[in-house]
Amino acid sequence: MSSSHIPNLLTSRRGPRLRGRGGGRGQGRGHDHVGASASSRRDQTIQATDTDAAVSRLSAVALGYLDDPYAQYFVHGAGTRRLPIINRGTYARTTAIDALVEAFLSLPESSSRKKQIISLGAGTDTRYFRLRAQNRHHNLIYHEFDYPSVCAAKYRIVEADIPALDGESLVLESGEAVLGNGEPQWSLLSSVNVEPDLRYICHPLDLRRLPSLESTTSIRGLQTDIPTLIISECCLCYLDVTDATAVIKWFVEKIAEVGIVLYEPVGPDDAFGQMMTDNLAARGITMPTVQRYKSITLQKERLAELGFREEEGGGGNDAVSVEHIWQTWVTDEERARVDSLEGLDEIEEWQMLARHYAVSWGWTGRWDDWMKPLVRIK
Amino acid sequence: MSDLDRAIAQLRSCRPIPEAQVRELCHKARELLIEEGNVVTVTAPVTICGDIHGQFHDLMELFRVGGDVPDTNYLFMGDFVDRGFYSLESFLLLLCLKVRYPDRMTLIRGNHESRQITTVYGFYDECLRKYGSANVWRYCCEVFDYLALGAIVLGASNTLEPSPEALAHSQSLGPTQGLTESDIEIEVLNADGVYINSFARKTQPSSAESSPAQSRTGAPGSGASGWSTGTPGNTSGAVLCVHGGLSPLIDTVDKIRILDRKQEVPHEGAMCDLLWSDPDEIDGWGLSPRGAGFLFGADIVRVFNHANDLSLIARAHQLVMEGFKEMFDSTIVTVWSAPNYCYRCGNVAAILELGEDGSGDGVIARSNGDVTRSDGGVMREKERLLLPGPARRYRVFQAAPQDSRGMPAKKPVIEYFL
Repeated sequence: MSSSHIPNLLTSRRGPRLRGRGGGRGQGRGHDHVGASASSRRDQTIQATDTDAAVSRLSAVALGYLDDPYAQYFVHGAGTRRLPIINRGTYARTTAIDALVEAFLSLPESSSRKKQIISLGAGTDTRYFRLRAQNRHHNLIYHEFDYPSVCAAKYRIVEADIPALDGESLVLESGEAVLGNGEPQWSLLSSVNVEPDLRYICHPLDLRRLPSLESTTSIRGLQTDIPTLIISECCLCYLDVTDATAVIKWFVEKIAEVGIVLYEPVGPDDAFGQMMTDNLAARGITMPTVQRYKSITLQKERLAELGFREEEGGGGNDAVSVEHIWQTWVTDEERARVDSLEGLDEIEEWQMLARHYAVSWGWTGRWDDWMKPLVRIK
Repeated sequence: MSDLDRAIAQLRSCRPIPEAQVRELCHKARELLIEEGNVVTVTAPVTICGDIHGQFHDLMELFRVGGDVPDTNYLFMGDFVDRGFYSLESFLLLLCLKVRYPDRMTLIRGNHESRQITTVYGFYDECLRKYGSANVWRYCCEVFDYLALGAIVLGASNTLEPSPEALAHSQSLGPTQGLTESDIEIEVLNADGVYINSFARKTQPSSAESSPAQSRTGAPGSGASGWSTGTPGNTSGAVLCVHGGLSPLIDTVDKIRILDRKQEVPHEGAMCDLLWSDPDEIDGWGLSPRGAGFLFGADIVRVFNHANDLSLIARAHQLVMEGFKEMFDSTIVTVWSAPNYCYRCGNVAAILELGEDGSGDGVIARSNGDVTRSDGGVMREKERLLLPGPARRYRVFQAAPQDSRGMPAKKPVIEYFL
């Protein structure tokens, strides 16, 4: 690794890094800084975790761990190079969830039947655009939920940097009529057919408000009769346990055939976990669900209690650590490729860090083919 | 006060010294280190330390716990830099102390004392940030190339003079239960010198690991300790100190002595292995998950120690949550001296004190001579003669408290997956 690849910290540490790219864009949250209440400060802290994730993603992309041409648009400036263990973790979590999504999209269905993905706290996530680039966006409706300011910032970036496909239009509209909070929501529509076809929609909604919505019709485009996958990639862990439970229940009770993928930390009680809790608390970050679902076993029990368990009509759940994903999901060749990118000296630290994150997934329908046979990340 | 003493004082307060002074210091250090062999000979008493990784305030805590230089004779087993936020101050302070007290300070090279690794793990960035150019990083890397690859500790006693705390603890157990000093092989103390635990010499060698986490409740003081043939004054076998471990290309310490060390750490070969390898519960040699060096099993250590009249290998390189970890029937120990590593891991740190052989007869075991020793402390195990290990006192300490750091609180952001 020649030193010219090392980002100059003198330039990359200039001021707080905000979501978005270029002057003015991606800084829509500025107005609520003054006189912010404790709870809105906490919300901002949680929103900032998304910036953190975007920087980590760009670092992993820049070094060749991940292929994601969209990552650059969601980071202000040149980004920051992350440590090898962080890059490896970003790689493992992203490819694991990609694998679960791919397996979901490959579930046998009649070709005419649509599928639906709901990404909670999606923030700057690029997964939809990556699926679209792989031509995996047909017969799919993709929902994202996040704070209104996050959705607005994402709209500005997508509008400026990610061109719509032929026959596709980017639509920004008032969300007042549906969500009642006056925040604009935006979507990507295909107008190839006479009837415009909703492909992607970004819902500006604080998820804690979701359980109070009585009808699914409040969420535009949400369908309750097609196979649906919910993704929470470090999102629900920031909510209170009751809120997080209520959000999942809301979907499970309304959608007939639903699966879920959760990615969050586990093991808060050992020395490493306690330090993790303390360090995150020093940044104002608390993860209530982690204190409740402390282990992989408890994460599975959590899913079972929410209805993701084996019953007559199908269903089940499973969970693994990120270390397990790295060791067994990733093929030997791919591990060798990733290992060669920058080398990783900190084996013990990696194992410890990777054992403190888990991917859990559960399903209610006849999804026996989901994640079987074992997905191999190539 | 000399310039050097002024630099030491400045670095002790965690303030970098000017670039010109770094250049001069590095020049002097190189002149000193070039005279050292690849394997430095150190005479006990000595305090052996593992990885520091730029955790300056924890290094200050280490000196508080282990005693200041030059009162205490120190041996640091490398990895001074990278990961922590004060690699520069930590390394330069150690280097200043080396130049100021060359006979009281031994520094050997770790795998992070390398141009390539420091560009990935932080030291390069830190130099750039603190000086605006890479000059200081370059000067330091030139010193890295001259650091010794290992050290041999001679004249370590195989008995421990019990610390007053341990003695008090032992006496509280009553005359039949208490330890006598010749029984104590391992003693563990906390940062304030308070007794935590001690282990008697084993009567039977067992294959179980001696883990600091578990306390032995064997039969201390039974008087049947076959190991304690030594009365106070008996010298144990020599101790080899190296950052990582052994190499399949190295079967004698003399082979380390003839390496050409004055270069960047190579990607493979004997020099690389010494800095990168790890002991593991395997037979023979194995591939390392680190991508450099090897894994080696208990049999490799036993053969090497026997062939070289060693009783113990002390090494660093691997994070161990309890600060130290003895393996393979106490033939090798990992010492880790960076508490709460990377401000993230929640581990404690340790240093290893080896006492001075009090016999005063001036006989010092040769570390790598022919196998012609015939002292009473030799025992037979699996057809191999093993020398008794030196008595070992571990001082375990935690990260320096935040408020003791006495400086503008820089709140480091510790990375997690969010």
